[in-house]
Amino acid sequence: MGSVVILGLVVLSLGLSVWTVARETPFDWRFKLSDIPETPEQQAPVFETLFDYRAPSGQAHAPCLIRNEDALSLLWFEGSAEAQADVDVYSVQVNRLGPKWSVGPKQARLTRTGLGQAMDPRQLVVTLGNTVEAGRPGEVLATIVSIGGWAMASVADVRFGSGGPEMGRKLNLSPFLNRSNLVKSPLVLFEDGDRGLPTYFELGTGYSLFARLDAQGRVRETTRLTGPGKPIQPMIVPLDAGNAVAFLRDLAGSGQLLISRSADGGRSWSHAVPAGLANTNSPVAALLLEPDQILVAANDDPTGGNRLSLLSFRPSDGVWHHLRELETGDVHARYPVLRHDGEGAILLTYSTYNKTGLRLHHFTRSWAEAGDA
Amino acid sequence: MTQVGASLALGICASWLGFVVAGFVLPSFSAALIGGAFGVTLAWPLRQRLLSTGAVAIFAPFGVMLPALALRHLAVSLGVDVPGFSSLELFAFLMAYILFLMAAFGLLPVDFYRLGYSAKIVGLMTLALCLYALASGNWFLALVAVGGQAVWAVGWSSSNWFDTVLHVTLVPAAFITLLMRLL
Repeated sequence: MGSVVILGLVVLSLGLSVWTVARETPFDWRFKLSDIPETPEQQAPVFETLFDYRAPSGQAHAPCLIRNEDALSLLWFEGSAEAQADVDVYSVQVNRLGPKWSVGPKQARLTRTGLGQAMDPRQLVVTLGNTVEAGRPGEVLATIVSIGGWAMASVADVRFGSGGPEMGRKLNLSPFLNRSNLVKSPLVLFEDGDRGLPTYFELGTGYSLFARLDAQGRVRETTRLTGPGKPIQPMIVPLDAGNAVAFLRDLAGSGQLLISRSADGGRSWSHAVPAGLANTNSPVAALLLEPDQILVAANDDPTGGNRLSLLSFRPSDGVWHHLRELETGDVHARYPVLRHDGEGAILLTYSTYNKTGLRLHHFTRSWAEAGDA
Repeated sequence: MTQVGASLALGICASWLGFVVAGFVLPSFSAALIGGAFGVTLAWPLRQRLLSTGAVAIFAPFGVMLPALALRHLAVSLGVDVPGFSSLELFAFLMAYILFLMAAFGLLPVDFYRLGYSAKIVGLMTLALCLYALASGNWFLALVAVGGQAVWAVGWSSSNWFDTVLHVTLVPAAFITLLMRLL
């Protein structure tokens, strides 16, 4: 009797295997590069601060820039302190009318209660953390915590409706109850419509993970980025269809920014090595300006400090050029995010004053390359 | 369907918990009734309350193995014959699962978990478990393996097959079972 049941289950399993293998489309391991807006030949050096915010109390940290259909939003998390049970995600809308920028009023964009009710399955969300653009309008990837601190965090795919989040689902990135994965940097796109999410696992030894998400937002494949120390918070920059570099923060405190490279569209990554830039355990932002030039915002102070610099990195030979020192001293600038503004200039945001404020700047490439006065 | 699956699994696991607690003072049948009532209450009328949403937040994805083991324990306690696992099998599982988790924590330079995303490998792993079940005459194991594959295939749970047939609470469960058999 038992054998008949098992043989029946074997037949069912074979049927399921045939079905799932047949529907599984092969991966297209080619990055889809975002169009790099052309820089006008006679671009005037411009630098302007669009938003300089101090939280009325507590902390405001980890800003990110999200482009929706026709608007740009700046999102960050704010509460009494990070990882506390009163942290929600807030945003301001950043609009451009001709040459002028305007920033709208602050509003709660993603609350713990709202997200908990939208989660599938419905569940408690105790606190919120880093949020990144998901590569599609009306969608973000958010760090959420239901128990414990950041080491027990999960990454949730959150989709918004007109009244707030209407669907949220944890990404299946770890066998430890989906725990200990966080996001910091924006994802990258593949030619077949899949998306590549740079994420990192913070428990244990600490490592980075490049996760491939399908059109439904489900994880279909992961690749580890490992190296000396604790290489986390990968910032991935595709250079062409097959090549990419990943800058990694060393949580172990080696004092060096780490770098890993892929030559097969993100399918595999080299063992991370020092990138040749001092970096005391802080994340970086990067933006491709030309096929062999990356703009990087990083803390490059070898003594620790709180400096935020703009640098140029040439991936072909690994040469760095210091461009500008943006912040220093007691500003405590951290967690930078860079993106093109769509019209040949650049937006940069980061948190300030030890995670209690935010700044958003708009500047031209010519201003950045002019260097410090 | 993820919500339905999670509610069902939560209801079954809560029923088992209620059954175990009530079983200290009541006979099995009465304990099963009380446990079932507790599980249904948690999974449906109280599904939006902190106890349920907190349990889902902490333990989901439940997968198939955990509720299946809970149901098996209930059934065996009520006199139904359902095959189980030998001490040697439990010990081998415990060692293998601990190595699997160590690899997931980056303590071993391999990543077994990523194999659970691939349809071909999931098919082969399920078939291997079924063949072992056939050799050992354990239809319960085959049922969980194929049930996990089915849930994974239709997308009602995790996109990784391992989450449907494993659960970290199996580590203490297997350890306690082995310890009780030794004593």
